Amino acid sequence: MRTFMRSLALSVVTAAMMSAAAYAQKPGGTLVQITQPEPPNLAPYISTSGPIGQVTAKVFDGLLEYDFNLKPQPGLAESFTVSPDGKTVTFKLRRGVKFHDGKPFTSADVQFSIMEVLKKNHPRGIATFKEVEAVETPDETTAIFKLANPAPYMMAALSGYESPIVPKHVYGTGDIKAHANANNPIGTGPFKFVEWRRGEFVRLDKNPEYWRAGRPFLDRIVVRFIADASTRTAVLEKGEAHIAGFGAVPYNDVKKLAALPSLEVTTKGYEMISPIVEMVINTKKPPFDNAKVRQAINYAVDRKFVIDNVWFGFGKPAMGPISSNFEPSGLYGAGVDYTVADRVERANKLLDEAGFPKKADGFRFEMVHDITPYGEEWQRFGEAVQQALAKVGIKATLRYEDVPKWLKRIYTDYDFDMSSNFLYNLADPVLGVHRGFHSDRIKKGTVFVNGSQWSSPETDALMDKATVEADATKRGAMYRELVKKVTEASPVIYVHELLFPTIINKQFKDLIDGPLGIYGNYANAHRQ
Amino acid sequence: MTMAGYGLGRYIVRRLLQTIPVVLGVVILNFLLLQMAPGDLATVLAGEAGGAPKEYIDQLRQRFGQDQPVYVQLFNYLKNLLVLDLGYSFRQSAPVLDLLLKRLGPTLLLMGATLVVSLLIGVAMGLLAALWVRTWKDHVISVAAIIFYATPLFWIGLMLILVFSIKLDWLPTSGMEDVVAFHEGFARAVDIARHLVLPTVTLSMFYLALYARLMRASMLEQRGLDYVTTARAKGLTERQIITRHVFRNALLPVITMAGIQFGSLLGGSVVVESVFAWPGLGQLAYQSLFARDFNLLLGIFFLSACLVVIVNLLVDVIYVLLDPRIRIG
Repeated sequence: MRTFMRSLALSVVTAAMMSAAAYAQKPGGTLVQITQPEPPNLAPYISTSGPIGQVTAKVFDGLLEYDFNLKPQPGLAESFTVSPDGKTVTFKLRRGVKFHDGKPFTSADVQFSIMEVLKKNHPRGIATFKEVEAVETPDETTAIFKLANPAPYMMAALSGYESPIVPKHVYGTGDIKAHANANNPIGTGPFKFVEWRRGEFVRLDKNPEYWRAGRPFLDRIVVRFIADASTRTAVLEKGEAHIAGFGAVPYNDVKKLAALPSLEVTTKGYEMISPIVEMVINTKKPPFDNAKVRQAINYAVDRKFVIDNVWFGFGKPAMGPISSNFEPSGLYGAGVDYTVADRVERANKLLDEAGFPKKADGFRFEMVHDITPYGEEWQRFGEAVQQALAKVGIKATLRYEDVPKWLKRIYTDYDFDMSSNFLYNLADPVLGVHRGFHSDRIKKGTVFVNGSQWSSPETDALMDKATVEADATKRGAMYRELVKKVTEASPVIYVHELLFPTIINKQFKDLIDGPLGIYGNYANAHRQ
Repeated sequence: MTMAGYGLGRYIVRRLLQTIPVVLGVVILNFLLLQMAPGDLATVLAGEAGGAPKEYIDQLRQRFGQDQPVYVQLFNYLKNLLVLDLGYSFRQSAPVLDLLLKRLGPTLLLMGATLVVSLLIGVAMGLLAALWVRTWKDHVISVAAIIFYATPLFWIGLMLILVFSIKLDWLPTSGMEDVVAFHEGFARAVDIARHLVLPTVTLSMFYLALYARLMRASMLEQRGLDYVTTARAKGLTERQIITRHVFRNALLPVITMAGIQFGSLLGGSVVVESVFAWPGLGQLAYQSLFARDFNLLLGIFFLSACLVVIVNLLVDVIYVLLDPRIRIG
């Protein structure tokens, strides 16, 4: 048995004390959130499209919640114990919880959600719950996960955003992939789904029977969809909406909004997302099959310039594939330092050594730099990289295509030299980091995996070991070695840890109360 | 029923029958054009999910029927179209027809308001400019029309928001109704009308400029024709000549233009809809194109083709009412 029980019990007590104090919070009010773009559906159990979670995390609960240090907190499960071999995880479930349709929540819903829905259909759940062979339900408030191998990363992926618990009596009938309730979600969360007017808003009303006594404080959440970036800024400025994150507001407007007395800006609430800006290099294509060329490009990029000028200061240099947000959990490690003062000289030297001397026109070779089609800042980033590469004698041309075309080029056709990109680390390196360079993730046609097509037996082995290692200290050591090896080979250039600004109207407090930020449930949010 | 009424009814039926091959052609052409776009819905869905296993993507393609040859897909689509089954949008998890019908109301509201406002103001501006021809008032109107015509819609929209919403606080910035208050009944109608003002004004700017210039030219042309001299010889006053004869004749080209412009009104509203977050068809089309949601996109094309055909039919009917000399058939 681990010490989880004790820490959980402690946090239950703290939570109870906090809620006693919280009764002083003024109930009522409508919070308007801006989510961009409009979600395609409200079915987070089969799709991980970002905007969906911003809405449905308020409707569905998970077994656990997390604090800012990514430590598990009670959710639908009051506590859990992990067996010494790491292959049995027993969850003690909360009694008396009701779904929004009034039916009770039991262990059967947990079994159904994990085994029938998430493990089979959820794009990330397929990997998260790979080791789960069965969920046993000896009684209504006990769910026992039987694992083929230890899966420490799974314990970080049980939030209502990542692994929503859905009612079996609703989603158990009919085709889960085209379910009648795909746009009419029913969960146990603090807010109930009321209405979705496409192109306008989703309306969620307070769930008076929510299992946390006295919560939520807000009467209603309305999530609005506004396609134009300048209009989103205007709406926040006027106070018609109260919160927006994930790049919904252009970086150049953030400063202007931050100066208003009615608004505040925070970069907290992305600790379980941890996006890293990177450049994927096609390591199967000469001259990029040469590690020296890749290292040279890595040295050439001016991270400080990019952060300050393209992202208006919202970022910090990345020292490898794992975000510094994993420092508290001991899984962070820094790799080769590509930000050294003499980086341009080093890059030039490496390219000379690799056999690409500067020609009469000052250039060594030409390449195409694809730009990830997720917003205007990526074009500015492309231009900055283009200039940086010119300084070391590489002539880059930029190519900008729309999302489907770009995805096909990078992950199906492998018809590229180098592309900008950003990948989420997510709740654990197994979920968000391994996919970038493990050999089993070189999968033609699968997007956001190993597009560089680079791998090595040593790094594969390290990742396989870290996947099943239950001891956090040992895992940390493995990841530090992994990061060193990957940054040395440089199949992907990790540029910086992207910090998303969240703009919040000061009328509202405690909106961002955990590492999932806007993907949280707003149970504690209240109006001043 | 009068003979004329009978003839008009038959004319409308015949015109409607003629539109069937036109709409069918539009659908088939669009279907084939969309096949040429690289990438597909399955990759987009997987991309939005931040990555997905190959099995998942193959599973999706099978569900969408993309594993079949193109001609089979086209045949199935047309077969379903006969019973107005426009298919299912897998990205939006809803039947296409439902999605379209929900957007049709706001679109028609915005387009109708724009058509009325731009025609009324445009015609009035053109009329006045023609009456004041080559005076400073005419120049003011003409220059204003050119400025309206040349200014990008999104910029006008943003400036209107900045002035009337943020600085003066007279009108809401965007959306179709107040989502904090959720008004009902008459209060809701007033609320929607308030939200309608800025997008209508923005979208009308471009078209009223067009109509004003056309109306001015048309008025001037008509005034120089022989029948005006005849009317004057008959002893009619200038006012009678203008209102009874010149104005009605000058209006015909403007109405024609309004009918033709209706199609482009659908296109222009994409920009205005996104600036003002108006829940119309334009935004839906834009989103579905970038998601490669072809079922939905084809549905929108089909509906737009129907709308354009119907409006042009209406224009022809209005001709007859304006000028009895124009024969139908």
